[in-house]
Amino acid sequence: MRRPVSRSLVAVILTGLLLTMVFGSLVAHAKDEIVLEFWHYWDGNNARAVEEFAAAYNELNPDVKVKPIFVPTGELLPKLEATAAAGKPPAMAIADIAWMGRLLRSDALLPMDAYIEEKGFDIDDFYPSLLEYSRYQGQTLALPITTNNLALFYNKDLFRAAGLDPDSPPTTWDELVEYGKKLTKADGSIFGFEMYSQVDETGEGLTWNLQPYLWQAGADFLTDSYSRPGFNNEEGEKALQFVVDLFQKEKVAGLARKDSFGMGRAAMVVNGPWMIGIWQDSVSFEFGTAPIPYPEWGKPATNMGGEQIFAFRTDAAREAAAVDFLMWLTSTENMIKWDQKTGALPVKASVASSSEYRGFIEDTEPRLLVFVDQQRHAHARPPIPEYADCSLAFAKEMEKAYYGRVSVKEALINAEQALLAILEKGR
Amino acid sequence: MQAKSYWSKSGYRKDDIRAAFICLAPVILIFAAFYMLPMIYSAVLSLAEWGMGSMTGFVGFSNYLAMFKDPYFWNSLQVTLVYTLGVTVLSLPLGLLVALGLNVKIPLSNLWRSLYFTPSVTATVAAGIVWTRLFDPYDGLVNHLLRVVGIRGPAWLSSPEWALVAVILVGAWKRLGFNAMIYLAGLQGVPGELYEAALVDGANAWQRFAHITCPLLLPTTWLLLIMCVIDSFQVFDLVHVMTSGGPMSSTEVMGLYLYRQAFGLFHMGYASAIAWVIFLLVFIATLVQWKVSGSGGAGAYGEAR
Repeated sequence: MRRPVSRSLVAVILTGLLLTMVFGSLVAHAKDEIVLEFWHYWDGNNARAVEEFAAAYNELNPDVKVKPIFVPTGELLPKLEATAAAGKPPAMAIADIAWMGRLLRSDALLPMDAYIEEKGFDIDDFYPSLLEYSRYQGQTLALPITTNNLALFYNKDLFRAAGLDPDSPPTTWDELVEYGKKLTKADGSIFGFEMYSQVDETGEGLTWNLQPYLWQAGADFLTDSYSRPGFNNEEGEKALQFVVDLFQKEKVAGLARKDSFGMGRAAMVVNGPWMIGIWQDSVSFEFGTAPIPYPEWGKPATNMGGEQIFAFRTDAAREAAAVDFLMWLTSTENMIKWDQKTGALPVKASVASSSEYRGFIEDTEPRLLVFVDQQRHAHARPPIPEYADCSLAFAKEMEKAYYGRVSVKEALINAEQALLAILEKGR
Repeated sequence: MQAKSYWSKSGYRKDDIRAAFICLAPVILIFAAFYMLPMIYSAVLSLAEWGMGSMTGFVGFSNYLAMFKDPYFWNSLQVTLVYTLGVTVLSLPLGLLVALGLNVKIPLSNLWRSLYFTPSVTATVAAGIVWTRLFDPYDGLVNHLLRVVGIRGPAWLSSPEWALVAVILVGAWKRLGFNAMIYLAGLQGVPGELYEAALVDGANAWQRFAHITCPLLLPTTWLLLIMCVIDSFQVFDLVHVMTSGGPMSSTEVMGLYLYRQAFGLFHMGYASAIAWVIFLLVFIATLVQWKVSGSGGAGAYGEAR
């Protein structure tokens, strides 16, 4: 007779637990709280910072709960697209600028212009090149949150050994070649300069390392609102000729496939600010940073990466709350704190010039200042869905020129043809 | 009904059959979920266009037609064929040679066997990284040794002419030990009386090898050939680590080209179509080889037995 009793007891307990859970969650939501899910793939300092900022915002706005949710990098874009297509996107998310071409065209992002105007939010404080990834067809659909760019790294020990002043890196193309020749060893042990020459998965490594020289010379990757290639011209020829000469004529750069600079086998390289920390911990030589050298007749230019932050179309209450959070987070005051916590480069001129931020950088990592100041010369890679295809096709043709298998002119013509075909197909 | 009659004829009890299927269920489910479904899905995808994280519509066979007009696809097919040929031609005879050596009673034979087998069980990525260092044009061991004998080595992995050679050498190096072990097993299956009889008849070592060892190893050779071709055709990780398909697409094998289309450019439909072409080519190669081995190889072995 005991068994049935214990069974019903278990059933009662289980039912009770279930009801508690159901009602518990109902009660939690009954407070009329607006929950804003914020999807990101950040880890480390960035993840800590986003939790802190969310908590601070929730403190200030008791009726709103910003909830950062981690999604692995590789899954974020497919998940955003899938949930948006199903009509159930998160309130907010971040994305790499490389994804923005697709997201801006998805019709899922919330236009923020009305809110920006209403609150008098100073959107022009963001660098214009970064806003290329935020706007589509005249609407502001995202805001810049982080950025980075490319600058010259040089090995001060090798400079000293070659009799060069370790505090005056090259500033022009001619100087880059001149210094490169002095630094290059004939036996192949050391090259003056390391230029990225591999076409890996996407070709983007080669392409984005070459683009700054195009821009410096006055050419462009795509022109006319990204509708056609802008490099098959005199300026583009000068830029590609300069790079090809580094390999073929001056022989100051090697067609090598690895991190020669980090191994002390190349005296100079162009790379991003993240390498400061990596090389700081892994190399035994002293290194400095400088702007990418540009020709006397050209203008300074660099390439950039970064992330954007945006709200999805959901419902009126969540949309308004989400935009309010985005504008709060990207305010100058908070961006100064954000950049100090995460080590990201400023996306706004007012942050880059603030004495609080500059003082912090000078005290912690002065080599970062070059990147901070170069950001205003950064160009945007075309934020169009066909960009990845264009980049790979371009890289494949340029590689042939690097190896001296085709002339500079041929490479530019072939690349132009390939890109025109891709752009034509995309239309 | 038919199945039932088969099972009842087979003499199994109904309970046993049920138990067997319950035990097999996990394997069948896993096979269906992780092999059959992805295959079916990729077949569907190969006829579709992919955009914004999902299929956007069917395009018929245009993904397959696009392949014919894509010079990089033909390049990858050619590179894959050269790689497969290179690895097979190098690793089979060398594997046999090693097996013949290991078949002789020598001291520490187990140690030698382990050493030769090690590359086959070494993680490909790790081996690829080490070999990349060894092929370094300036301070790599390979060019260092070449310098000792007075040869100025090429730039290997940075050279459009030599990169594929380097990758083939490493591919064959990884394959060699496995081939040697299978050959060794084959050699030990050759009945000793045959050699004794040949000796009595006055056959020399070469004649014994050519007329006894070789024919009896034919089935083993066919097996290894098929496995080597199938494996080499699908090579990916080794090339990915050593060259990423470069320089100038000289080592861009089909597996890598597929990967680049799928996960670099997100052309899932096109990549699936390439995957099916690889599958078909491997399938045809297997059919041909089984056909040939079925009439020649196994027959010869059976006769000798």
